[in-house]
Amino acid sequence: MTVLQNLPRRGPKGTEPSMVIGGARPRDEKTEELAAKIFSEFKSDFRYKEYVLGCINCGECTTGCPAARFYNFSPREMLQIAYQDDPLVLLDAMQEKIWACCQCYTCNMRCRFGNDIAGIISVMRELAVRNGLDSAKEVLKPYSRILLAVMTNGTQVSPDMIQPDFFADWGPFAVAKQTDIKTLRKAIPIDVLQVTDSSWEVSMQTSLELFQIYTESGVVDMLKSIDPDLVEMIEDIVDEWKDEFEEMKAKYGVGEA
Amino acid sequence: MLNADQIRDVINQRAQARTFSDKKVHDVREEMWRLHDKGELVVIPIEKKNRPVEVETLFGWKKRIPTDYLWHHKSCGQCGNIPGYPASLLWFMNQFKTHYLNEPHQTSCTAWNYHGSGTSNPVALAAVAVRNWHRAYETGTFPLIHCGTSYGDYKEMRKLLIENREVREKVRDIMHHMGKELAIPEEIVHYSEWVHVKRNDMAGMVKMKLDGITAAVHEPCHYYKMVPEDAIYEKDTNGGQRPAPPTALIQALGAKVADYSTWYDCCGFGFRHILTEREFSRSFATLRKIKPMVEEAHADVAITTDTGCVTTLDKSQWIGKSHGMDYMLPVLADVQLAALAAGAHPYKIVQIHWHSSPTDSLLEKMGFDVAYYKKDFNSYIEELQRGREPDMLYKPHDEMEKYFAVNKGHVIMDN
Repeated sequence: MTVLQNLPRRGPKGTEPSMVIGGARPRDEKTEELAAKIFSEFKSDFRYKEYVLGCINCGECTTGCPAARFYNFSPREMLQIAYQDDPLVLLDAMQEKIWACCQCYTCNMRCRFGNDIAGIISVMRELAVRNGLDSAKEVLKPYSRILLAVMTNGTQVSPDMIQPDFFADWGPFAVAKQTDIKTLRKAIPIDVLQVTDSSWEVSMQTSLELFQIYTESGVVDMLKSIDPDLVEMIEDIVDEWKDEFEEMKAKYGVGEA
Repeated sequence: MLNADQIRDVINQRAQARTFSDKKVHDVREEMWRLHDKGELVVIPIEKKNRPVEVETLFGWKKRIPTDYLWHHKSCGQCGNIPGYPASLLWFMNQFKTHYLNEPHQTSCTAWNYHGSGTSNPVALAAVAVRNWHRAYETGTFPLIHCGTSYGDYKEMRKLLIENREVREKVRDIMHHMGKELAIPEEIVHYSEWVHVKRNDMAGMVKMKLDGITAAVHEPCHYYKMVPEDAIYEKDTNGGQRPAPPTALIQALGAKVADYSTWYDCCGFGFRHILTEREFSRSFATLRKIKPMVEEAHADVAITTDTGCVTTLDKSQWIGKSHGMDYMLPVLADVQLAALAAGAHPYKIVQIHWHSSPTDSLLEKMGFDVAYYKKDFNSYIEELQRGREPDMLYKPHDEMEKYFAVNKGHVIMDN
């Protein structure tokens, strides 16, 4: 399965990149500059001091970790990397390992220090996106449709996403309903759910307010780092909605406040 | 063997005496009210009309669950592919004559995307939360959060907004640009908590046979692991060692809850994994959850209280056939099981046809004439195809609300 190629796998003994020994990978000036920039942003993030409190390597976090059972991933290791002062080790972890985490928070609940390990991995993911790391671009490539949905109507799953060619493993009962999905949605006794292209019908005012939040909070700029074409498409959609919204104001006699 | 009181004391002492670090668990609600009094934010209060019911959380703290005048904060995953989940909840509210609003003026919490992709930030997540909460505030209702991840995320956002002045000011500015206040609900309440405090009313409505049903409970991680101190625990349920919902409901309905060794594991959802890397999700769900639920608990049904968990446990099973793991365990939300127990239509209300794992044997065991209900639903579908207006749980919104947030006939907007 091609989607696995971006995530860590156990290779023959001795071929794995070391995640804890600084200097285990080739260094070049550009990489070191990027690593230093990310390291600085990471350590100065207000969440760092709140989330990373200490570690005695007890491994309680990893014994409960679902991702650790299937990937070369360990929340203990991630916390150790967050704790130490090696920009290149941090960058190395952000290339692949951070994307294995399930964000279930089991590690947090088990940690005697009260570390927020899932949270610090989220911070690393944010930094990977904001800095346009190749790993973020690659991992999120099949995620474009979800990003489009969440940026425009603020929901993540639409009924028409469940297409047979992409969700074949969910079985015939999951995909067969695509044959007349409009009628099946109409048979849900809740008006706002009787749509197929969104989880529910989101009012235009709500969508525009959401985009205002994304713009003012810097999320739109953040997304440009990994997918500028997608951002351009989203901005076109929002511009069209703004025009339509003005037309609707006139139609319904909604005046300027 | 410790009793429930002793266990709670041990947990409390451990949490308060984490000498490894300075981190102490404290109740952010006290500071929230102080900020409210200083005019830093507006607390959306639980009022008498909300008819709150008091429960206890992990450390024995009190939490009030409003039961009336509710604003449905829908779940994008539930509405997208498990629509019987919200439909069953609204159906119960109609039975109880609960006042509620279910509107198009809501976004999701967007945290599914955040936890999966990292493409957001704390200010955006908090602002999205406040925008939704504010809609409940301006309509005189109280937000009821359907999704476990939204529930966990919103509790994190509440804490962030209370403890971080910089984030609070940025979010307040964004809200002011939209003509809104920085409003935070007095409590963050999950729908399963509403179900929990209404469980005896639901038990009084049981029409179908539950005494032969064995359920295996999957406790959603984001219900009790993200902000553990705010989840409901009761001394008489699960020995006070696991959250009370949905076990207390299932037992009140008359079904049996059976244990299994991996109850503490997550479902395998993974946020990004369930959509674009399902090799992991289905392997974990099958091997660590479904298999022990069937082989150890001998369950007739898996019951959980979150969007991602129902999706992952339900959808991940079919492919198991290719490895000889043909478990086909029905997976339902607590409120769907309760609606079925109360005799709600399995297809028109519980919308069970959206589930991938077969449910016929469960329905038959509960006493449903499955062939009759299927025929009835198929006739309904044919009528819809011929142009019949669909049955609704409430009066549909006016066309104008596709565009504008309206409250009592007035458009609420700043721009």
